[in-house]
Amino acid sequence: MKLTKALQWTAVAAATALAVSACSSGSADKHPGSTVAKNGGTFRLGIVEPTAIDPYNTQESEGTLVTQNLFTGLTSVSADGKISNALAESRTPNDDCSQWTFKIKGGTTFSNGEPVDAAAFVRGWTRAAAKDAASDVAYHLGEIDGFKELNSGTAVTFRGLSAPDATTLVVKMAIPDCEFDVRTFHTVFSPVPQVAGAASNKAYNDQPIGNGPFKMEGPWQHNSKITLVRNDSYGLTKAHLDRIEISILNAANADQLEYQGFQAGQFDWARMPTEQLTAAKATYKAKGDWYEWDANGMNYLLPMDFNGPTKSKEAREAISYAIDRDAIAKGVFKGFRTSADSLVPPAFVDAYQKGVCASCVKQDKDKAKQLAAQAGLTPGTKLYFGYNTGGGHDPWVQAVAAQLGDVLGLDVHIDGIPFKQLLDKEKTPDATGIYRAAWGADYPTPGNFLNPLLATSSIDEDQTTHKVQGDNRGRYSNPAFDALLHQATGTKDLAARTKLYQQAEKIAIGDDLALIPLWNRSQQRVANNEKWANLTYDFSENPTLATASLK
Amino acid sequence: MTDETTTAQPQQGSTDGEPAIRVVREWQEVWHRFAANRLALLGLVLVAALLVTAAFAPWIAPYDPLRQDLMHTIEPPSGAHLFGTDALGRDQLSRVVYGTRIAVIVGLVSILLTLIIGIALGAVAGYFGRFYDTVVMRGADIFFAFPLLIGAIIIITVTGRGIWPVVLSLAVFGWATVARLLRSSVLSAREMDYVHAARALGAGHLRVIVRHILPNSIAPVIIYGTFNVGTAVVAEASLSFLGVGVSPQVPEWGNMLAAGRGFIGVDDYMWMLPSLAVVLTTLGFIFVGDGVRDALDPKLR
Amino acid sequence: MGRYLLRRLGQMIVVLLGATLILFACLFVIPGDPVGSLAGSERARDPAVVKELREHYGLDKPLAVQYVTYIGHLVQGDMGEDYIQRRPVSEILGPKLVNTSKLAVAAIVFDVLIGAGVGALAALRRYSLWDTAVTLVTTVLVGFPTFVIGMLLLNLFAVQLKWVPVIGDASDPAQVILPAITLAIIDAALVARLMRGTMLEVLRADYVKTAIAKGVPRRQVLLKHVLRNSVIPVVTYIGISFGGLLGGAIITETIFNWDGVGMAMSTAIQQQNNPIVVGVATWGVGIFVVLNLVVDLMYAMLDPRIRLS
Repeated sequence: MKLTKALQWTAVAAATALAVSACSSGSADKHPGSTVAKNGGTFRLGIVEPTAIDPYNTQESEGTLVTQNLFTGLTSVSADGKISNALAESRTPNDDCSQWTFKIKGGTTFSNGEPVDAAAFVRGWTRAAAKDAASDVAYHLGEIDGFKELNSGTAVTFRGLSAPDATTLVVKMAIPDCEFDVRTFHTVFSPVPQVAGAASNKAYNDQPIGNGPFKMEGPWQHNSKITLVRNDSYGLTKAHLDRIEISILNAANADQLEYQGFQAGQFDWARMPTEQLTAAKATYKAKGDWYEWDANGMNYLLPMDFNGPTKSKEAREAISYAIDRDAIAKGVFKGFRTSADSLVPPAFVDAYQKGVCASCVKQDKDKAKQLAAQAGLTPGTKLYFGYNTGGGHDPWVQAVAAQLGDVLGLDVHIDGIPFKQLLDKEKTPDATGIYRAAWGADYPTPGNFLNPLLATSSIDEDQTTHKVQGDNRGRYSNPAFDALLHQATGTKDLAARTKLYQQAEKIAIGDDLALIPLWNRSQQRVANNEKWANLTYDFSENPTLATASLK
Repeated sequence: MTDETTTAQPQQGSTDGEPAIRVVREWQEVWHRFAANRLALLGLVLVAALLVTAAFAPWIAPYDPLRQDLMHTIEPPSGAHLFGTDALGRDQLSRVVYGTRIAVIVGLVSILLTLIIGIALGAVAGYFGRFYDTVVMRGADIFFAFPLLIGAIIIITVTGRGIWPVVLSLAVFGWATVARLLRSSVLSAREMDYVHAARALGAGHLRVIVRHILPNSIAPVIIYGTFNVGTAVVAEASLSFLGVGVSPQVPEWGNMLAAGRGFIGVDDYMWMLPSLAVVLTTLGFIFVGDGVRDALDPKLR
Repeated sequence: MGRYLLRRLGQMIVVLLGATLILFACLFVIPGDPVGSLAGSERARDPAVVKELREHYGLDKPLAVQYVTYIGHLVQGDMGEDYIQRRPVSEILGPKLVNTSKLAVAAIVFDVLIGAGVGALAALRRYSLWDTAVTLVTTVLVGFPTFVIGMLLLNLFAVQLKWVPVIGDASDPAQVILPAITLAIIDAALVARLMRGTMLEVLRADYVKTAIAKGVPRRQVLLKHVLRNSVIPVVTYIGISFGGLLGGAIITETIFNWDGVGMAMSTAIQQQNNPIVVGVATWGVGIFVVLNLVVDLMYAMLDPRIRLS
C-alpha cells in the first residue's frame, strides 16, 4: 500500500520496497568492510513527517524507517528481495496453506524488559486489526481467519491466531496463501508489549516501546524531530550507532533540504532533487558516496478502463505507442530513469517479462494513429490528465501531454491538484482520462502488484457512493486474470507460482493494457561513506542503520 | 506592502485635520515635475518596454514558448538559445518574453479591479457616511486583516488554479486599502464649497461624486495603484512558487522561478532570468509610482 | 480613553467574526471530501466509520451550525482537531506560533535596528556617498521577491560558505538569522526609505530649528525631538506590515524549513487539512487586529498631539 505520503510529495519518493542491489551502474564501490565495528557516533538524516511510527499504522517509507529500527518481526528481507528469518526460527505452512506455524526465537525482550513471545505477536496483530485502530495497513492481515469480525468490531479477539506455547505462533488462514510468510516482513506484523495498550494509546503512538535494534529517546516531536538511541538489550545482532537523529522536514521541499543538509555536512544520508542529480553524481560518485539502483516500484499511467476515451484497449495502446519514453527518460530525467516495458519491474528478476507491454517498447507514431482511429480517439478528442502537485511531476507530465497532442492530436488537459483531491477524483464513478500513478511493493512478490492494482476484488465499490475503495481505481476486471491470481496464491512451489503470475500479467498488461507503464522506479542516494562503514540501502530504500558503524 | 510607506494613513489624515494630499489639477505641470525625475523616467522606460514586449511577444520571441525539444533540455545559454533551455527544452528567452503578457494581465487587471472596487466602495462610504460608512469600513477592516498571500491561497483553493482566480484574489484582498484611502480624501473633499454649491444647484449624488468629488480625491489612489502593480506581479509569482498559481504549461515568471529553484547553485540561469524580469518589472512600477507621487504632491519631496 | 478602547475592542470582534466567516464559507465549498481522505484514502473503509468521523468533526451539520460551534469553541481557545494527526489544532499550532514569533520578532528587530538605523544615518548625512548607496540599495531591494532573496541567502551562506546550517532548528537562536533577514529585508529597505524621508522632514521642522537655535545640544535634539518624531510612521508601518510578514513567513519558513505556522500552512494546503488552514488564518487575522490596536495606542504615547477619541 505504497501510494504513500512520500509519493505525494517528491519525485524520488521512497516506498517500502524490495530493492535489487546494484542492478544499475554506480552503486557505491566501498562495500561493507568486515573489520570489527566499533560502537559510537550519531547518524543524522532528514525525512518528511510520517503518518505513524507505531507499527499498527506505519505505512510510508519514512515511518517504516523508524518502526523497523524500533521493532523486529518474524522475517526480514534483504536489499535484493530475499526473505530470511528474523525472530522466526522456522515458518511452515500445512499442505493447502490454510495454516502457518512460526517457531519464535526464545529469550528476547522488549526494551522495557517484557518478553517477546508468541503472545506478543498475537497482541500486536490483534491491536492493529481491531476496529478502533482504524489502521490504514491492517488489511495486510486480511487473509487471516477472524480478521473480518475483529476489524468490523463484532469480535475483540483474533480467532485465527493462537500461541500454544511461548515460542509457537499458529496462524489459521481464511484465504489460503502459500506466500503468507512473505507478508510478515511488513511492520504491521510487529510484536508489541503489554504497555502498548490499544491502538488509541497516544502516549505509545508517539513513543513506542519495541524490541528493535534502537529505542526512542523521548517522544516523537511532531514536524520537528525523532531521536533514537541504541537498544543494548537487543535480542539479535546489536547495532553500533549510539544515536540516530531524524529531522522532520517540510514535505514541500524535503529532497532539496535533505541534499543541502548533506552538502553542508548536517546529514549523513540524503535524497536529491531531480534537478541536482547530474551535478551530485559528478561530485559524489568518485568519492564512493553515490548509490543508484532500480528499486521494485513502477511509475505508470492509470487510465479509466471503464469509462471515457480510454475505455477501449486500442485507445490505451494508442496512447502508449504515442509516448516516447526514451526521449523523456533521457531529456527530462537526464538518464536517471529507465523506460518500463512491464508492470512487474525488472527488479523482480525471476518474474520480470521483458517487453510484456509491447506498446511500451518503442514509440510508434503510425501504429498509435492507426489504433486511435480504430478506437475513435480522433484528433481534437479531449483527454483529462490528472497528477498531483508538489511531487516534481510538472515537467514530464507536460512532455507526455505534448507528445499525445503531437502524435494523436488529442486535446490534453493537464490538471495538477493536491494528492488527496487526485485520489478522490480517481475513485469517482464518472472519472475519465489518465492519471499519474506509482506503486512500490510491500513485500517481494509479483502478487503485490497484480492483486491490489488489477484484481476485481480490489475495486471494492462503495454501495452508496459508488466510489472505488480499493486500489484498482481504473476498475479493470477480467475473470481469467482473477482466476490465475487465485491459483497463484494457492501454489506452494515458487517457480510454478511465478509462472502463474507471469501469465496473469500477460493478460492484464500484454493483452488488455489495463495500466500504461512508463518508467521503472530508479533511486539515487548520497551517503557519507568517509564517516560510516557498513552503510548501504535496504529494501525499503532506507539506510541500513542497524549495521552501520563509525569508520 | 509598499503602499503604506509614504501615503498618509486615513486616521492620521483626518485627525490632522488637513487633507492628506493636496490635489493638483494642472496635469501639464504634473508631467513636467514627473519628467524632471530621472528615476521616474527610467521606470517609465521599463514599463513601456514591458508593455511593448507583451504586445509584440510573437515577433520578439525567437521560438514558440510552448515548443518542447527533448533532445536539448537544460542547455546553458548559447547562440541558439540566448538564455538557455528549460527542463523540456523550451527556449527560456521566449518564455520570459511571453511571460510579460501574464505579468501585464495580472498586474494591470488586478490593480484595475482593485481600484474599481475600492473607489466605488470608498466613495460610497465617504460620501454617504453613517450606515454606509460603517458597513463598508468594517468590511474593509475584515479584508484588510487578511495577509494578502493567505487570502489569495484560500480563494484559489476554492476556485482552482488559473490566471483569473489569481487576479480575483488579489483584488478581493486589495480593495480595502484603496477604499480607506479614497474614503478619507472624500471626507475632506465633501466639505468643500463647490460640492455644497453643486448640491444646492440640485445635482444628483452620482453626478456630484463623479464630477466633483472623485477628481479631487483620486490622487492618493492613483499613487497606490501604480505602486502596487509590482506588488501584484510579485504576489502572482509567489503563488506560482507555492504551487497554487497558474498551470505549469503557461509561460509565466513565477512558474519559471518555481521550476528553476531546484537548479540553484547548479544551473543558475534557470532562475536568474525570470528573477531579473520580476525585479525589473517591479522596479519599473515602483519608480513610476514614486514619480507620480512626487509629481502629484510636491510637498512630499 | 476607556470608551475609545471599548469601541476599538468592539470593532476587533466584528473583524474577527467577519474574517472567520469568510474562511468558513470558502472552506465549505472546497472540492474533495476531507473525511474521505481522513478515513484512509487507500483502503476500504466501513461506511459507519466514515459517518462517525463526519459526526465527530461536525461535518454532517449545516454550515451555520458548524460556524457557531467553531466560534463557541474558539472563544474558549479550542480551534478544533486537525484531520491528519487528529490532535487539537491549538496544541499543534501553539509551539509553531512560538517559533514564528521568534522569527517575527527577530525580523522586526532587524527592521527597526537596521532599517531605521540605516535610514536615519542616510538622512543625517544627506547627499553623502552613504546616502546615495542606501537609496540605491533600498530602491533595488524592494523589487526582489522574498523567495529569490531566501534562496540566494540559503545558497550562499549555508550551502557555499557553510556559515550556518541549512536546516533551521527553531531552538537554536543563531539559526534565526538567515530566515529573519529574508523575511525582513524588503520591509527593512522600505523602513529605511521611510525613516530617511520623515527624518528629513522633521529636521526641517520649526521646533527642531528652534531647539537648535536655542542652543540645545545636537545629541539631545536628535534623540529627543528628531528620532522620537521620525519613528512614528515607522511604528505604524511595522504594525501594518505584520500581515505581509505572516504571508512572507509562509515562503520563508518553507525555504528554511522553519517549524512555524507558515510552514504548517503550506503543508496544510497540500493536505487539505482545513482546520489548520483556518487556524493559521484566524491567528493571523487576530494578531494583526490586536497589533494594530497596540500600534495606535503606542502612537498616542509617542505623539501627545494625537488624542484618542
